[in-house]
Amino acid sequence: MQFRKLLTATAIALMAIPAMAQENITWWDFLGGGDGVRMKALIARFNEEHPDIKITSTTLEWGTPYYTKVRTAVAVGQGPDVMTYHLSRLPLGLDEGVLDQVTDEDLKNAGVTKDSFFPASVKAASSDDGKLYAVPFDIHSLVLFYNKSYLEGSKFLDADGKLTGINNLQDFEEALAYAKEKGAAAPVSYATADDGGVYRVFYTLLRQQGGELISGKEVLAGDNLQKAAKSIEVMTNWATKGWQPEQAAYEASVALFTSGKSAFFLNGVWEVPTLVDTDKKGALGFKWGAVQIPNLMGTQTAWADSHAFAIPANNKMSPEKRKAVMTVIGWMEKNSLAWAEAGHIPAYMPVAESAEFKKMEPNATYSALANTASYDPRSPIAGVASPTYDAAINIISPAIHGYAEPMAAAEQVKQDLQDKLR
Amino acid sequence: MAMLTNRRKEVAVAASLVAPFVLIFALVFLYPTIRLVQLSFTDSPLIGAGNWIGLDNFKRLLSDRLFLTSLKNNGYFILLTVIPTTALALGIALMVTRLRGKLQALALAIFFLPYILPVPVVTHIWTWMLDFQFGVLQPVITFFTGKPVAVFKNPYWVMPAIAAVTIWWTNGFNVLLFIAGLRNIPRDYYEAAQLDGATRWQLFARVTWPLLWPVTALVLTLQLILQLKLFDQVYLLSSGGPFNSSYVLLLMVYREAFQLNHGGYASAIALVLFVIIAALSVLQFQLLRVGGRR
Repeated sequence: MQFRKLLTATAIALMAIPAMAQENITWWDFLGGGDGVRMKALIARFNEEHPDIKITSTTLEWGTPYYTKVRTAVAVGQGPDVMTYHLSRLPLGLDEGVLDQVTDEDLKNAGVTKDSFFPASVKAASSDDGKLYAVPFDIHSLVLFYNKSYLEGSKFLDADGKLTGINNLQDFEEALAYAKEKGAAAPVSYATADDGGVYRVFYTLLRQQGGELISGKEVLAGDNLQKAAKSIEVMTNWATKGWQPEQAAYEASVALFTSGKSAFFLNGVWEVPTLVDTDKKGALGFKWGAVQIPNLMGTQTAWADSHAFAIPANNKMSPEKRKAVMTVIGWMEKNSLAWAEAGHIPAYMPVAESAEFKKMEPNATYSALANTASYDPRSPIAGVASPTYDAAINIISPAIHGYAEPMAAAEQVKQDLQDKLR
Repeated sequence: MAMLTNRRKEVAVAASLVAPFVLIFALVFLYPTIRLVQLSFTDSPLIGAGNWIGLDNFKRLLSDRLFLTSLKNNGYFILLTVIPTTALALGIALMVTRLRGKLQALALAIFFLPYILPVPVVTHIWTWMLDFQFGVLQPVITFFTGKPVAVFKNPYWVMPAIAAVTIWWTNGFNVLLFIAGLRNIPRDYYEAAQLDGATRWQLFARVTWPLLWPVTALVLTLQLILQLKLFDQVYLLSSGGPFNSSYVLLLMVYREAFQLNHGGYASAIALVLFVIIAALSVLQFQLLRVGGRR
């Protein structure tokens, strides 16, 4: 009798489990820096607010290691339930077949619609035939940071102490010369010995001339070659004039600006928290601002990429679990204001257009760039940690240090990348 | 009849003793190698099946500029390392053997120490020592060239610099081999030669060098194999740049496989490298043996 009771109790207990089941979501990201801290805080908040869903997050190494792991894990069906993904890597991701389509029903479960995101980000997150394969989370771009102390008394600061009067390359170089005279060790700092640092500046200058790095299957087709050479020439000129640091690693380029040795700083919005935090501690010693890259070469645009959420292909998720994953993504989008503190512009327009975001500085100042951003070319050899980044460190960086003529360097970029596209 | 059973037993015992090795060898070496050869004839991605494309990968290799550059760089690196490191190790070994007791142990330890360091530690030490802005070696470079040089970013300096780091890192093991070889030479030979009035140079040229030749040949061959497999230092110090001047075959394999997801093409490159290493090392060892017999 006793035994029977026990059995019944167990059976009832077992039956009760599905009802209280908690969906365990495995989450992978590559966010190791200051933004990683903010992401972990968001995840913790989500877990607190949702007793029925539990996210377990793992942070992996950014770049090739991350994407290699994703590819291998997905191939054997051991991928995460949701992962962060760079939209610039999406073409290669589609090629590899590691991404699962995000259907309209998925979006409904997340409580968002396609047209609530910036159109450029949706385009970058879709395949050529318009199917969505990732949900954009932010837009992060190259911006221009400036140190006001070097520009005081010049025509480049307006009455409110904001950067003004830089409408073309000549203006910008005049400002650089002015800052040099006022004692800036490196008037414009960027990571001249780093793949990403060089690539983003190069690509921005190229795109501002209306240039295309890769059109279809052709690299630097037609007069794009001249435009690429022109971009390298501009960067080389900054080096010869002593305006940009020689062989600066990423950290060194940041340190040059934060220690007050540079008047301008070309880097991604993700360095905003560094400046905000240093300023808060009172360790900065100068007033700063950040604006979108001025129109130097003729077209208003700048390099940009997006972090996005993606669901790995080859998953064996139950519909309930998939719904939970979409709940996570939807919640993250709606709470992306906290993510904007890492400098990013939310890709979800209701947040990007909210009054709270418009009060957030310097994000609000440069947020207009979301409409003119230049994403990486849609190609399996472009994007984060791709051959285009390799070409930047392998060819462009030594060229701007005087080891090759701009045209010769542009030709080698074309040749090397074209070989990879075969 | 009894003998036959004994023999059978022996075979069984032998087989069971060899089996674990053969099995593990087959699993972790033979099988992957066969798969590699299979893959090199396909256009498959890193994971998953592909189509049989015959010799296309190899044909493509021949016209791949990067492959030819890499091959050339591998050759240049061999020139920069194999003979210099062997000569250096021999020199150090000859000096260390002159020391006695604790002093010898200390000297040996100092030369061997770099060898036990993992590659990332080695490259980290050298990146800092040669750092463009803060490197302690930059004043030395400035003294000779008149200006600081970002060695791993300079197309002319990068390979010699990587070679120097590699020699510093791996030389200890070669020193050890040479010392073992030197200790194997009976002292009587030297005494007899000295009695006959041999000079120091003659002692080296007529006694040490010929008797040490088998070790020298071994060191040269090991170095050839090791330096052809150059990857870690390049990946960590220069990533193949600038202008592909430090691009080597294994880096190409890595990039094709893990960055571009071209499993088949990467396998083809790896196979070619495998054949090159096998052919060169067999050839070299045979040549050196012939040379030693004279």
